[in-house]
Amino acid sequence: MASSGGPMVRLENIHKRFGELEVLRGIDLDISQGEVVCVLGPSGSGKSTLLRCVNLLEPPERGEIFIEGRDICKGPGSAAGEAGWELDFVRQRVGIVFQQFNLFPHKTALENVTMAPERVLDRPTEESKRKATQLLERVGLADKLHEYPERLSGGQQQRVAIARALAMDPHVMLFDEVTSALDPELVKEVLDVMRELANEGMTMMVVTHELGFAREVGDKVIFMDEGRIVEQGKPAQVLDSPREERTKRFLGLVLER
Amino acid sequence: MREFISQYFDVGFMVDHFDEVLEGFWLTVQLSIVAGVLSLIWGLILAQLRQLPGRGFLPVRFATIAYIDIFRGVPLLIMILLISGSIPSLQFLPEWLRIPQWFGKPDNFWFGVFAITITYGAYMAEVYRSGIEAVPRGQMEAARSLGMSHRQAMRNVILPQAVRKVFAPLLNDFIALMKDTTLVSAIALSEVALVGRDLQSDTLNSSALTLGAILFLLVTLPLARFVDKLISREQGRFTRGAPRVEAL
Repeated sequence: MASSGGPMVRLENIHKRFGELEVLRGIDLDISQGEVVCVLGPSGSGKSTLLRCVNLLEPPERGEIFIEGRDICKGPGSAAGEAGWELDFVRQRVGIVFQQFNLFPHKTALENVTMAPERVLDRPTEESKRKATQLLERVGLADKLHEYPERLSGGQQQRVAIARALAMDPHVMLFDEVTSALDPELVKEVLDVMRELANEGMTMMVVTHELGFAREVGDKVIFMDEGRIVEQGKPAQVLDSPREERTKRFLGLVLER
Repeated sequence: MREFISQYFDVGFMVDHFDEVLEGFWLTVQLSIVAGVLSLIWGLILAQLRQLPGRGFLPVRFATIAYIDIFRGVPLLIMILLISGSIPSLQFLPEWLRIPQWFGKPDNFWFGVFAITITYGAYMAEVYRSGIEAVPRGQMEAARSLGMSHRQAMRNVILPQAVRKVFAPLLNDFIALMKDTTLVSAIALSEVALVGRDLQSDTLNSSALTLGAILFLLVTLPLARFVDKLISREQGRFTRGAPRVEAL
């Protein structure tokens, strides 16, 4: 689907600071169609911020972001602000799933999934309901359509959140530590859904601490520290024989757990 | 003791003047409902103006904050006197606005409504704001990430949750508003306080005012109990199962 066979997502020299704190110090990254890129790194390394840059939740100060070849933040840092951002283009092509689920607590699972398609895409109610039902079945929640988030487990809530993002027919999915807030026994059901999505060819960028998932599902692993990409490559290479000292230290600490 | 009872609780006096007092109280109720509903709407508009995003809306946000600060600080009685004594002499206004007689209500009824709405709108805007700010940031992020505009996110995601959170405090403000409608007696609207006061000065007996107070309590006490119940229910929701607070 990427125009002219270029990368699905291209990041060029992305910089971002929060006040005095420089969170991203020049990130370059290409993600091809169907690729699954897993981003690892210690907390504070800027990995979540990078992910949130891709759909402009955190617009970068400097650098360019291309989605399917289209520059989505012309003149970042300029006074143009939202006017220079292709918000509609981005938000309808890039879905995101959050660590804290962020389901709408006053809506049922089904309504969580149908809301955006109906309001944003003007999809007819019948059609959006049918589609939402299919999506919720696909993530294994056919029997929870009319439950409120409060009555669902963390794993179930996160699967609703994935279905909600998929309802907008995104071309790219971003996952921001989506299993970090879950009890250990609920992690697998969410990872299974993500694995299936990857097998179906979804382009994915996954910030995670799940090394097993990165190894098995990832096409590429990126290790970040202090706002820079320290090392990247095939999962087996980065995880099993890292070249950089910082990567080794980090992996050592994670595996010790 | 007898003197005390006949001064404040003369039942025969109350029965004799019950119809007048009740009529005054009925006007109080109408004034409360009209001004209350308008305050709720005006407060919600103010709260949303205050939350408009981006640099372009800075002047709007600033003006809204100034409005809220000013009208929370000015006594309602002064607002009532200011409006009722000035609007009729502003010749550039059309007559239907200078001397409003809508729905068969006299102009001082409507001046009271204006003053209360201006003042209580500012109070209620702050209550709504506390509700909007109590909705976790992630809700707005999730809604915007799904392609909703700020406006759509406010309407479909943030406000429904915010209003639920502030329903009890809003009702509290409504009770206060209802009691404050008695200030409109200062501009000769025959609501319950003025009826009672006229009877008091004619007869030197205060029982009509006491009756008015009792009628107030008949409405405000159940409302206050209802508010308490709502608050304890809301707190129950939040203390049961601690992790849910995050998930909300």
